[in-house]
Amino acid sequence: MRHECAPYGAVTRALFSLDGFRRGARDGVPLAVSIFAYGVGFGLVAAQAGFGVGKAVATSAAIYSGSAQLAAVNLLQSGEATLWALFATILVINARYLLFGAALQPWLWQAGPLRAYGSLLLLGDANWMLTMRRIRAGEADRAYLAGTGAPVTLGWLAGTALGTAAVSVLPRPEALGFDLMLACFAAGMMTAMAKTRADLLPVLVGAGAALGIFHWLGPAPAIIGAGLAGAAAAALLHRGAP
Amino acid sequence: MTESFPVLLGVMAAAAFLCRVAGFTLMRFVPVTPRVEAALRATPLAVMAGITALAVQAGGWAEGLALASVVGLTLLLRSDVAAALLGVAVVAALRWGGL
Repeated sequence: MRHECAPYGAVTRALFSLDGFRRGARDGVPLAVSIFAYGVGFGLVAAQAGFGVGKAVATSAAIYSGSAQLAAVNLLQSGEATLWALFATILVINARYLLFGAALQPWLWQAGPLRAYGSLLLLGDANWMLTMRRIRAGEADRAYLAGTGAPVTLGWLAGTALGTAAVSVLPRPEALGFDLMLACFAAGMMTAMAKTRADLLPVLVGAGAALGIFHWLGPAPAIIGAGLAGAAAAALLHRGAP
Repeated sequence: MTESFPVLLGVMAAAAFLCRVAGFTLMRFVPVTPRVEAALRATPLAVMAGITALAVQAGGWAEGLALASVVGLTLLLRSDVAAALLGVAVVAALRWGGL
């Protein structure tokens, strides 16, 4: 189905250029600063759990998700981790990526399977938000997503290495406010993205659903629930063709 | 736990990879009608609002004021990135001031 004015509009094979990658990489640098600090935070926790630099960096490269790694390290530390428990923990905590991938699909798939799946390897919370915001503003170059992922990956791995190696001399990232960085980016991008009154609906529904679900089920389901509730509300109240 | 670290790492990486690609792959079989498109467009806003709301709830006055200032600064400066970085400075300053 073709929608002329929509950012999800269909094109045979979408643009995927070095130019778009560079643009994404440049926009990703401020995110990388925050992810670096988050990486330091993970490194500190990993070092306390007995991980060396190599092990910690390998974990950050293989899982590439701070919240999932922290949960996995906690589980490993408890001494009661089975392979299934580890697998299930990461599945539950990263379930929001199902939603992230689905939201990206109509835009990203047009780059072709290899480029699309390759780009998904570099998908994280912060660069997903950034890319969704840019898609809405008309970004057509599908290399943008991978571009945003490049500095973020470097920051994440370098932060992990530094946090693990220098555990005894570093200040806690909380002291500098870096633990609030992702929420600050979320608040800022949300404000910039909400342009019409209709945009207030997913904002209100998302916030309400997150708080309600958090109360009963905890933080991981709360984020997925927020996304699903906001999407459902927008679909239900959508006027016009089904 | 008797498995070696590379095995653990492989299992964890597989779970993380599955989450990254499964939603994307399933969405290939969903026709993007205007209604579905409206839902997909609403998703990032709802997730961002959820992240912000949880941070306000988990934090205290410092976190709430910092995130409110990010919203205000984004409208004022017309740059969400600058506003977010300033928000981090605000929360660091407020925490340092003992709030």
